Order: sequence, then C-alpha cells, then structure tokens
Amino acid sequence: MTDAELSEAEKTFILHSVQDNFREDGRGNEDFRHMEVETGLISNTNGSARVRLANTDVLVGVKVQLTAVDPEKPEVGRLDFFIDCSANATPAFEGRGGEDLGSEISAMLTRAYSCPSAVDFHSLCVLPGQQCWLLYVDVLLLECGGNLFDAVSIAVKAALFNLKIPNVTMTKDEGGVELDLSDDPFDFKRLNVAGAPVVVTVNKIGHKHVVDASEKEEECTLARIILGVTEKGTITSMRKEGSGSLDSDSISEMMESARKVGMELNKILLKALEEEEKQGAKTVGFLR
Amino acid sequence: MPTDTRRLTGPESSQSPYNFAPCSKLDMRNLEVRPDGRSFKQLRPLFLRTDVVSQARGSSYIEMNDTKAICAVYGPREVLRREDFSLKGQLTCDFKFATFSCKQRRQHQQDSQEKDLSVQVLEALEPAVCLHKYPKSQINIFITVLQHDGCALSAAIMCASLALASAGIEMYDLVVASSAAICGSLTLVDPTAQEEETILKSTVKLDANAGSVTVAYLPSMSQVSALSSDGELSFEVLNKSMQECVANCQRLYPVLEQTLVKHQQELEASKS
Amino acid sequence: MSVDIRLASSRPAGTDLYHGENPGNIVTPGDVITADSGFMRGHGTYMEDECLHASVAGTVERVNKLISVRPLKTRYNGEIGDVVIGRIRELAQKRWKVETHSRMDSVLMLSSVNLPGGELRRRSEEDEKMMRHYLKEGDLISAEVQNVMSDGCLSLHTRSLKYGKLGQGCLVCISPSLVLRRKTHFHNLPIGASIILGNNGFIWISPTVQDKSEESGGYETNLQPIPKLDREVIARLRNCVLALAECKMLLFDTCILYAYEASLKYAVKDLLKPEVAVEVVDLVRQRLELEGS
Repeated sequence: MTDAELSEAEKTFILHSVQDNFREDGRGNEDFRHMEVETGLISNTNGSARVRLANTDVLVGVKVQLTAVDPEKPEVGRLDFFIDCSANATPAFEGRGGEDLGSEISAMLTRAYSCPSAVDFHSLCVLPGQQCWLLYVDVLLLECGGNLFDAVSIAVKAALFNLKIPNVTMTKDEGGVELDLSDDPFDFKRLNVAGAPVVVTVNKIGHKHVVDASEKEEECTLARIILGVTEKGTITSMRKEGSGSLDSDSISEMMESARKVGMELNKILLKALEEEEKQGAKTVGFLR
Repeated sequence: MPTDTRRLTGPESSQSPYNFAPCSKLDMRNLEVRPDGRSFKQLRPLFLRTDVVSQARGSSYIEMNDTKAICAVYGPREVLRREDFSLKGQLTCDFKFATFSCKQRRQHQQDSQEKDLSVQVLEALEPAVCLHKYPKSQINIFITVLQHDGCALSAAIMCASLALASAGIEMYDLVVASSAAICGSLTLVDPTAQEEETILKSTVKLDANAGSVTVAYLPSMSQVSALSSDGELSFEVLNKSMQECVANCQRLYPVLEQTLVKHQQELEASKS
Repeated sequence: MSVDIRLASSRPAGTDLYHGENPGNIVTPGDVITADSGFMRGHGTYMEDECLHASVAGTVERVNKLISVRPLKTRYNGEIGDVVIGRIRELAQKRWKVETHSRMDSVLMLSSVNLPGGELRRRSEEDEKMMRHYLKEGDLISAEVQNVMSDGCLSLHTRSLKYGKLGQGCLVCISPSLVLRRKTHFHNLPIGASIILGNNGFIWISPTVQDKSEESGGYETNLQPIPKLDREVIARLRNCVLALAECKMLLFDTCILYAYEASLKYAVKDLLKPEVAVEVVDLVRQRLELEGS
C-alpha cells in the first residue's frame, strides 16, 4: 500500500514461498503475526482499544450519543464507523489520499456489523420509537504494515468490549418522558460482544492463499476475499476485492481457511480481553 | 459539504410516508408463494438492449421486471492526469441510483453505499477486460439505476459488461451476475427489493441463516469475478447458494450473447 | 494455524539497552560542545557566539581538530566506495534513478553499468532504447558509490561482476547506522546463503549462486523455485537480522552467524515473537563479549 514496489524476482520468491507453505518470515499460510491488545487507554472515550499487529498499529475510540431513532428501525440503536487514515501512517494518506481506503474499510465494517446478532442492538435503544444510543466508532490508523482490515476489526471488537454506556433513568412527566443521565462514572452497562464478527482477509497468491499478509505479500496478490466471521463460524458478510478473478473451488477453500482462523481469532481475543479485565492492570499506553 | 445550488434540495429531514404505512414486510416463516407469483427458483425475465445512448462509445439498458438500469461507456481516451500514467489501461466506474429510483429519495451526490457498489462493479469487470491492450488510456463506465426493485448490483454488472462489449472494448469474456436471498431453508433466486429488505433490514434474528449473495461470473473461463454477501450465513449455506448463483449465471449467459449477436447483425445489415 | 494475542500490560518492562561501555558524550541540538575556538566545525554542528553547538542529537566524535556529531538515526549519508543496495524508481535520459534511503534519489548512469557482451563495449543508441530491458522500475541492484555530488546526490556504478541486478531473495531495511563498515560487505555464509550488507541499511539475503554467467551480463534472473531448505535458511537469517536491528546491535557477518546459530533451537516463525528475539540477541551479545570483540 505504501512504497513496496517489488521486482519480478522478489515476487517469484514470495510466490514460491507461499507454494511451499513456508513464507518469507517463516510463517505457514494460516499463521498470524503476533498481536498486542490494550483497552481503555483513552480517558475521553466511552470505550477505546489499541491493536498492534506486527507493525500495523490501530487505535479505536468509541463515543456514545443519544439521538433520535431511525424511523425505519424504531426499536434499535445504531453503530457508525469512521476510519481516519492519518498521514502519520504514510504521506500517501495526506489530504484526501486515504479517503478511498477509509471508506472501503468502514463499508466492510458496517456490513459485517449489520446483522442483528452482531451486538444486542435492542439494548442500545433507550426509549423505543424516540431515543436510542448512537455509537460513534472512530478508527485511527497509526501505522500500516499490511492486513489493515483484520487489525481494524479486532480493535473495533476490543473497543466495543471495553465500552461503558452510562445508565439512563426515565421519569414520566405530564409533558412526556424525561431522560436523566447518570453522572456516576461507575453506573454503566456493558455491551455483549460475543456475537461480534472479526474480519479475516484471505489473499490468493499463486495457487495457494494466505491470511495476515505482509505488505510485500499484499503486493503479490491480485484477488482476495474479505469475510466477517463470528465466534460460531458463521459468515456475516463477504466480498471479493482486487482486480483478479477466482475459480469457485478455490473460493470454498479460502472461505474454509477464513472460517477456521476467524473462529480461533474470536476465541483468543475474547480470552485475552477477559484476562485483561480480571487483571485490572494499569494502562501501558503508547510508551514502548 | 459542498452542495449544488442549482438543484432544489429537499427539506433537511423528512420521513417517507411508507414508514407510517402498515408493515410491508413479508412473513418469511410461512412464505409459500412469492408476492410476484414466481417460484423460489425462478429468475425474473431479463430484457437487454444495446446502443441506447447514441453519443456514448457503447451503451446498454437492462430490465428485470421493475429493476431498470442504463449504462454508458466512454473511452478509451488518454489519461488526463500525468501522475496516473500506467502501461495498463485504467477502468473507472460510477454507479448511481437515480434520486427517484428507490422508495426513499436518494441524494444526488454519491453516498457511501453507491461508492461501495461502484467499486464492486469495477472489480467484477476488471478481470474480464484486456486492460494491457489499452496502455496510457482510461475507460469510463457510468451506470444509473432508473428503478430499483432488488438485485441492483447484478443488473449493473451485466449492463456494464454488455455496454463494454458493444463499445468494442477487448474482453476475455462477458460478465454475468446473479443474486439470491436466503432465509433459513428458503432460497429466493433473483430477489425483489421487498424480499431483500425483509431479510436484510430485519432487526430481530429471523433465522440462523438470513442474508443475500451476489456472484459475478465469467462463463467461458469459469471464474468468479465478484462475490458479495450480506447478513449472517453459515459456511455451508453460503457455499451452496454461491454454487446456485453460478448455475443461474450460466443460464443467463445466452441472453447476453444473443443480445450482442443481434446488435452485430443489425450493424452489418445497416452497412450493406 | 497459529494466532497469538497478548496484552500490552504483560509486555516485559523496558529492557535495559545499556550494555557494556558508556555510550560516550551524547548531545542534543543546541548543546554547547566547546567554547574553545581551536576546533574545526564538522557535520552536525554550528557556530554561534564563538561557541560550537550541536545541531543533531547524537554522539560527539573528534578527529584531531575536527569535531562532528554523529546522529543515532539518520538517512544514509553516502561515501565513495560504499556498497549499497537500491531499488530502481524511474528511468530517465541515459540514467536510472535509484532509491537508496539517501536524502535524494541516487543516479546510475548507463555508462557506469556493465552491459552484456563485455566490459569495453561502446554504448550505442540501441542500448539507450533497451534500458528498460536491462533494469526496470522496481528492480533491485547492488552497486558501489562512485561519486558524491555537491548536493548530496549519489552517483553509483556496477562495473564489476559482483554488482548488478539482484535475483530471488529477501530485502530487509534497517537503520544505516547499524551496519558496521568493513572491508567486505558480500558474504557467502557457510550455511548456504549469501548476504549483502548494504552501507545504506538495505540488507539482501539470497541463496548462494555458484557461477554468475557473464554473457547475459547478469540481467537474466533465474526464476526457478528455490529448494525449501534454502528458503528456511533465508527466512531464519531475515528474522535474525530484524531481531538484531530491533535491539540496536551493530551488524556484521560474525554476529549474524552467531544469531543464526543461537536461533536454531527455535522454529523460524517463533523468532518473530519479541521475547524469543531478545533471548537470541542476548546470547549473541554474551558470545561476542566472551570473545572480546
């Protein structure tokens, strides 16, 4: 995505290495690079998370707001995704440079989270037919080192896990209903994210496919499929990306890989987040 | 936000009267016949015509009952910006719902859904076009959906592929697309907007499997060039409905072929 | 399949970077180095009020009367005779523009490369038209710095058989200040791989090629698959180099070999984990200290 323009021979090297199931850095085709997660590190948000996948770095802040309900769906709350491709990550994102990539990622997240079982949308409704919570999920890309979609979705899920929505009490007036927001910082409710999907990108390189492609490997692929996978292994959305085409047998194989990896990712992520919650350790933040 | 002052913009917020109408949603659990009387596996009749915009290099029109779209292709022409220079040709695609095409009025500027669909149409067509034959040039595709009643993406893909072919752009293959909506054990081939919305816009879980799939297919190369699914589906169901869409694409292919052949015959006849 | 998610809080507390000797006199921009007017002003310094100030953060170096500050992290400052690895970015009139992690694009003139058919061949107009055939955008080359222009632009040459276009292998980019200057930067390691330590921080790891054919001038690359064993060695070397660079170790052939040997007890992909990388580097450091180098 940045400056990796490869020579023919380098591409051949990577292609053969995927064929051998032994990638440039020694990983197998279905291995992820190691990842670091931290939640609750930004105090001005209702929920936040940072994910570092090798050198891809993503920061997510979630802010909640009361708003009028969508007249088409009067009994549920809403999610709103925005991806800021910061020029800190690469000068190519300067100005409107990162806009296309940003809207592509947010479209994918919106679709992956659009099924009713992703999060409990009914619990986000305060007053059916009138007021609901709108969750602004804002993603900031700090560094791009390949596999952005997956890293962003993991960070989003972690931030939603961390989300603390203040409790609202309702008092009936003669004029209508009055909403009263709790100002006690410990009076909040959490969101159940067990059904939330993570996005898995499967890149086709040569006759095989890889997950968690590095920047160099992304340069070598012509077609990839991007899927939202839940913990149960269901697929919440899928799209093919890139200028190449695929035959339907290999799509099935790629989907199978994505499902396997996605279920594992969900399981391990949730375990790590619960572990962090239990430890209640101090935040590390950005110091390295 | 920059707005076009020459146009009449609607009020800032308005509600469609349909929101207050009695529920138009289908009861998916006990659905026995589809509202338009088709069987579950039956496609809508497909009508295609080329050369509908005389000034464009190539153009086409598609009609699937109440889904109607028009597409124009301009180019190949020289790339305007020098930094976009490349030895491979460039394809651009602009997908737009006409403001009056849907139940809700659309804005005249492209919204995020339309941008997303533009990219998907583009990626469905790119593998089919011999872009290396058009160095330093760009080919522009413009698609407008005049009336939306489900399957806008597949209609747009087919329409654009036909317009490209009628423009004489070199292609490896035609692109055919087909959709299906799934709810539990039901698979509704070529769904209408009502069917799509009932499944995708539901706020309660209808079934463990509820969603829709769109596949674009290159029939003579047997390659899938675009794939998109929404909603929540299990791996097996998704795989099965994907195969079903591929089979439907193969059934639709002759219609596209015949339209092109007829178009060529007309041209030949007018020449002599 | 392996997925590894950890918590930031379980990360080991900052590892001690200061090993061994005191790093010397470190200054920050604006610091007064000396008020003695008997010294000469070198790179990374400026004169004001009769005092010599530092203009970059780094260590002060003194050669006789010349005082300069060597920054810890910098883009590559080329010197004549350096071995560099570069990537072709652009073709221009009779020259290639090459990215070498230098301040400006470096230049490789058509007249300073070996063309197929012998060293003393004349460059014809035909050759000018064939330039993209020899080297095109994205290709990697190894070259020597022939000259440093007044504006800091480097002019390269590949007029020796050891330089030229690079074939299959793996490029690793690290900070140029971590590459130790040595007599030779080309190493055929006894473990079945070659490594070129470019002075500009680009490191090229490739399988050892036996005989480089002369007639094609090295412009034909072998695109045959590389045996998996060689591939494993290359991947391991790559991860070792990255681990050493992450821990700010100076790179040269011996320490890379030591790291390779120390890493053998781990699977290649485990070297990507920070704790394994730190352990391997620690072993290398101990072994180097033991040998007193």
